[in-house]
Amino acid sequence: MLLRLNQASRIIKSGGKKVTLLDTINLDVKEGEFISLMGPSGSGKSTLLNCIGMLDNFTDGGYVFLEEPVHSMKERDRSKLYKEYIGFVFQAYHLIDELTVQENIETPLLYKNVKSSERKAMVADMLDRFNIVGKKDLFPAQLSGGQQQLVGIARALISKPKLILADEPTGNLNSKQGIEIMELFSELNKEGVTIIQATHSESNAAYGSQIINLLDGRIVTE
Amino acid sequence: MILNYIKIAFRSLLKNKGYSFLNIFGLAIGITCASLIFLWVEDEMNFDTFEKQDQVYYLPTNQSYDGEWRTFYSTPGPLAQAIKDEVPGVLRASRSMGEHLMFTVGDNAINRLGRYADADFLDIFSLKFIEGNATDAFKNPEAIVITQEIAELLYGTDTKVLGNVLKANNQDNYVITGVVENLPKNVSFPFNWVAPFERFGHDKEWTREYGSFFSDTFVELSPEANFETVDARIRQLIPEKSEESDSQAFLHSMNDWHLRSKFEDGKIVGGQITYVRLFTIIAFIILLIACINFMNLSTARSEKRANEVGVRKAMGSGRSRLMMQFISESLIMAFIASFVRILFLLILLPQFNLLIDKNLTLGLTNPIHIMVILSITVLCGVFAGLYPAFYLSSFKPVEVLKGIKSTHGSASFIRKGLVVGQFTISTVFIIGTILVYQQIQHVKNRELGFEKDQLISMKVNGKMIEKFPVIKQDLINTGAVKDAALCNSDILSGGNNGSGLTWTGGTNTEDVLISFRYISSSFFNTTGVEIIEGRSFNENIEKDSTSVIITESFARLMGAGSAIGKQVTADDPYTVVGVAKDFQYGDMYTTSDPVLFLNYLNQARFFYIKTNSDVPTNEALSKIEAVMKKNNPAFPFEYTFVDENFNAKFQSEQLVGKLSQIFALLAILISCLGLFGLAAYTAEQRSKEIGVRKVLGASVTGIVKLLSKDFLKLVGLSIIISIPIAWFVMRNWLQGFAYRIEINWWIFIIAGIMAILIALVTVSFQAVKAAIANPVKSLKTE
Repeated sequence: MLLRLNQASRIIKSGGKKVTLLDTINLDVKEGEFISLMGPSGSGKSTLLNCIGMLDNFTDGGYVFLEEPVHSMKERDRSKLYKEYIGFVFQAYHLIDELTVQENIETPLLYKNVKSSERKAMVADMLDRFNIVGKKDLFPAQLSGGQQQLVGIARALISKPKLILADEPTGNLNSKQGIEIMELFSELNKEGVTIIQATHSESNAAYGSQIINLLDGRIVTE
Repeated sequence: MILNYIKIAFRSLLKNKGYSFLNIFGLAIGITCASLIFLWVEDEMNFDTFEKQDQVYYLPTNQSYDGEWRTFYSTPGPLAQAIKDEVPGVLRASRSMGEHLMFTVGDNAINRLGRYADADFLDIFSLKFIEGNATDAFKNPEAIVITQEIAELLYGTDTKVLGNVLKANNQDNYVITGVVENLPKNVSFPFNWVAPFERFGHDKEWTREYGSFFSDTFVELSPEANFETVDARIRQLIPEKSEESDSQAFLHSMNDWHLRSKFEDGKIVGGQITYVRLFTIIAFIILLIACINFMNLSTARSEKRANEVGVRKAMGSGRSRLMMQFISESLIMAFIASFVRILFLLILLPQFNLLIDKNLTLGLTNPIHIMVILSITVLCGVFAGLYPAFYLSSFKPVEVLKGIKSTHGSASFIRKGLVVGQFTISTVFIIGTILVYQQIQHVKNRELGFEKDQLISMKVNGKMIEKFPVIKQDLINTGAVKDAALCNSDILSGGNNGSGLTWTGGTNTEDVLISFRYISSSFFNTTGVEIIEGRSFNENIEKDSTSVIITESFARLMGAGSAIGKQVTADDPYTVVGVAKDFQYGDMYTTSDPVLFLNYLNQARFFYIKTNSDVPTNEALSKIEAVMKKNNPAFPFEYTFVDENFNAKFQSEQLVGKLSQIFALLAILISCLGLFGLAAYTAEQRSKEIGVRKVLGASVTGIVKLLSKDFLKLVGLSIIISIPIAWFVMRNWLQGFAYRIEINWWIFIIAGIMAILIALVTVSFQAVKAAIANPVKSLKTE
């Protein structure tokens, strides 16, 4: 079992009113799964991804990641945990504009205190694997959207995470680029990486091994 | 990791050239300014760096007049020997007297200030002998010890000069018994030669009396001596030696000669140290303004950086690492600014030296300078980076990555606060500058009681006194000169004074300090000091040898009614024949003491010439020179203009004036750079709003108003805060002057209007730019 959500909720106060963003979610994710979260805007897809990714917290319920109780963890330990095991892919790529492709991919390794020689080797492998060796010294602004997302995924993979969280990874791409990215995801999945993606698109969702529908912060069972 | 930070910092600098320029330029100006001040402060602190700085003392005297102690830089001649003989703990003591001598060797003639002193003087100042030695130097009564500088000027370099006979003032022969190293750059009592005191005093009985105060007395205490005991003993000496005197000589440490030499009621109340402290504070304030700029621009730009922060946090960066990153960025900026500062200094230092009349050097090889430069840089970098680091690293990745523009209320509040802080300081500077300028002008335009324009001053030498009537007539005959006169002291200075006179109608005459002026009868016509009652002296001195002229304030001391015909008794009785209007001399900020004029030429030390205003100055000068050459051929024609000497008296105030002008300008410039940057970012942030408003029909002026309004409110608030601060600071400063201006309310209004105008110009540039932009563009970008 990679992670388990047990009656997990996120309730915030907005303008003096309680707003329930996530409502008693129960979810088990096994290693090697490829889950697609679907639902209309505001249904809680992104919130769920952020909470699973530990960028946000559930306000209620239990969250166990790799047998560790995330809900009762300190910030520091949580950060250690997600640094080690989780990679993020964003809709808007969120590459750092001031860094080259190579350096962007290297960044997570810096925060894991990987040695320089080792970093170089890992980045070189990753560039090679994604066929972007020729672009390693370019800056994000010099790349197309599809290429930027490729770098984004490479960056997410560099620290060899067990879980990749992708929030509308193809949202800013045209359909051809979108298909390429999704193919890449399923390839990665076959290599054993667990993936949870949020998407609007039926066809993208179909790449997943399991589709979960969300509505108003609740899992809808069909 | 660090490498990564540096890389990012440089790229982000290059990417935002305008922003980087504002930041680095602002910081560089701030650091440059602080550096200039620190160089000046360093120079001021390094005065009188003689070997025995901690053991050597000057002896000023306190004299009581009207129940208040007044401090004079003079002592009786015999005091030095008495102290040496009678006060335990004193190792050495020397009387001394400053004098200009003109030395001639072949065609070389130079005029240099030096001192007649006792042999101890050489040891007290630890003079380093290149030729000769301190023990033997003064054994010959005709001895003179000169500095290397004079030796080289007179004889050229690498020449042995020991034993040479040196002619001074074309009449006296001195034997060179020593050449000493030049004095340090900054000394309070400069001298270029030293000769035995008796050479000066042998024919002057008064140098051996306790009644005449003229000598600069220096003493050296033994290292074990107790300051309090020695000082207390010295204070008793003069009253012991002379019955009628209550004067007290006291110890004034060499360490305090330059910085703490202002006395009030007999006690040190500060002096130059006040300005040293003031400017040090100003240096830090300017650094603060520059750092505030940095903080403001960094946080204003935060939205652009927010994304990066979010990504980095999602990639696993902790907060402390992000803070490290931002602080290293600001450190890099600070280092670049520091480098730019060195370029600025190379360009500006010569001008600055000219302005403050010093010879400061950058001294980049001096380890202390390097230390200071590095610490200022690091201090600025860390200080300026700290707040942005805290602020930026606090962003929540979820929010910023989603593009949620949370209203960072606290940040905008702090930002506004910082702007208010900057402009408050700037406005205080503006007000201060205006008031300093006003005060200096006020004193300069003071009714002096004499006419300083067209007045030339020469030092009396050679045959000027005996040939005075001839010279005067020759001068007048040229047509370029209205009149000429002799006087025993500089018209601008305090000169001879004393008490102990009695006069008709006088009570407590002991308590009044009177200045004595020994003048030729032409003095009044030459200087423009006005006779308001009675007459001037007769040109024939014999006829008026028992007559005196007094000033108005003296006449008032004699009681009601005309003073003419009343008696003044010094050693002999004199009759008042004229009353002159009071005139200002010595300290230009106070009311000068009463003056007694005597018709006596033999003590004259100054020769005054009033030129004809119709004749061009150059022409007049060459005519005067011709006359002087003819009548006093042995001496070069050397002169000064009294009005220039007058201006020079305000050196330290004028320095404050000039510096405060510069600092006000720089503070404003730095603040404006910050405001300019902030306005740019505000305009950028609100570009969508502006676009919508324009589409809805808003006019350009309307939008400019909208954008400028917020900033002007802040500046308005700054003005309100700055007024009481400026009032308080400036009132304190002005209280140091007896003759001073009142602080007018309209100065605050002028300063306020200036601050608003400056801010308006700065902000409106951005506002106009934003307002005339095509709305289609701004609306499309979202």
